[in-house]
Amino acid sequence: MENLAKKRNLIMNQTLVERVCSLCSNSHAFTYAMVVENALGIQIPERAKYMRTLAEEIKRVASHLFTLAIQAHLCGFDSLFMHVMEVREQMQDVKETLFGNRMNLSFNCIGGTKFDLEQENLDFLMQTLDKVDPQVTEITDIFETDPMICNRIVGTGILPKEDALRLGVVGPVARGSGLALDVRKESPYAAYDKVSFQLITRDGCDLYARTCVRLHEITESIRIIRQIVQDMPSGEYRTHMTKIFPSEAVARTEAPRGEVIYYIRTNNTEIPERLKWRVPSYMNWEALGVMLRNAKVADAALITNTIDPCVSCTER
Amino acid sequence: MAGFLNVLLRNIISGPSTDPFPFGETFSPKSIRGRILIDPERCLGCGMCRHVCVAGAINITKTENDWTITIWQDSCCLCRSCVTYCPMHAMSIDPDWHSAHAEEDKFKRIEQHTIEYQPCAGCGKSMRVISLERAKELYAKDENINPEEIRHLCRSCRQLRDAERKTNSLAHPERTTTKVLS
Repeated sequence: MENLAKKRNLIMNQTLVERVCSLCSNSHAFTYAMVVENALGIQIPERAKYMRTLAEEIKRVASHLFTLAIQAHLCGFDSLFMHVMEVREQMQDVKETLFGNRMNLSFNCIGGTKFDLEQENLDFLMQTLDKVDPQVTEITDIFETDPMICNRIVGTGILPKEDALRLGVVGPVARGSGLALDVRKESPYAAYDKVSFQLITRDGCDLYARTCVRLHEITESIRIIRQIVQDMPSGEYRTHMTKIFPSEAVARTEAPRGEVIYYIRTNNTEIPERLKWRVPSYMNWEALGVMLRNAKVADAALITNTIDPCVSCTER
Repeated sequence: MAGFLNVLLRNIISGPSTDPFPFGETFSPKSIRGRILIDPERCLGCGMCRHVCVAGAINITKTENDWTITIWQDSCCLCRSCVTYCPMHAMSIDPDWHSAHAEEDKFKRIEQHTIEYQPCAGCGKSMRVISLERAKELYAKDENINPEEIRHLCRSCRQLRDAERKTNSLAHPERTTTKVLS
């Protein structure tokens, strides 16, 4: 895909990179837009920053709920799988209403966002959150206490803190091993410096710890969405890309699975000379070697799911 | 365990949560992206949409008298780039998402318009006429320009007219009320 990107212009690549991954598609489009803006020195409007953060957090809630649903399915608890997917479906409805698409939002573009969000759609978002929020609390309670889930995940798939550091894991996998890593906190981008949220970490180093991290991150994401909708400034939502010149830049963001890094090198044409990305699943994949050691064969699928693997990202 | 029993009980009482589609209505917001439409009144055939379309779903062929713009709905990935970057706001998205069709119809699902060139009101050369609405938007800042008149002028005639107006305003500054558009 990186080779495909070298054959298309900057605007076409915006759509192309969104197809790297389906579950964190928005993170790729977001980071790509950021890297081009960094390279070409484009300042985006305040409203665009808020709207981008909003889209990112809506995707995070849906993505985490999806992983947790699959986890319930792999534990053999299919009724819970159905229930979590039903809760996630409400976030899918939000995406359809706000952005028009269910998975590839196609919302970010170089210089801001492709369109403005209407107030009535934001009201729909808030109404849905009022319904989703108590359901997430309920799901959190079920995952944390239900013996059918806990007996499978407590003490399984251990990734000690030292190994997590050595392998350079990112995202909820790192945070479940007690590492306080989050790009949103380390180097706030978009509107993340304007919202308050907690960095969730757990020291358990096992599947249970990572499950807890994801569950509580959903609650934090909902908090961020509420703040964003409340504080969103009015005004322009897009600036134009006026000039392309030889430059290079890096951008990084926190996708639902961890840190995404983009690198771009431009020349005098609108086709980039080099576009490179590193996805979180690539870093987390190596940790499976530690987690799967001495594990039961029956747990292999469950442990693999815990890094929330995105094969399309990693293989690209 | 009690936590999930509550969920089960609630689900039994509330019944299925799936929509009865295709026998009934399903959730379908008005902003959903169904298919791309082109407004032939507004299209200028500039090719910006084709330039930004990563799916290669848009084609423009030009002849001496007209141009034909085609969108293959089956290739379109609904990324909305053409809508975003069209300078004439000619592209829009229709919320009709019912796109199921038979295999043999896959190349027939197209949005196609053939638009004719018209003679320039100044020199008679064939040119594309800007839609009145867009001309009003574009020239809203300058009240000295009549949108209806300027939209029928080709690029060279517009440049000539602009040059004439500038010269006049320099020679007789009292005749113009507002500053000419530079």
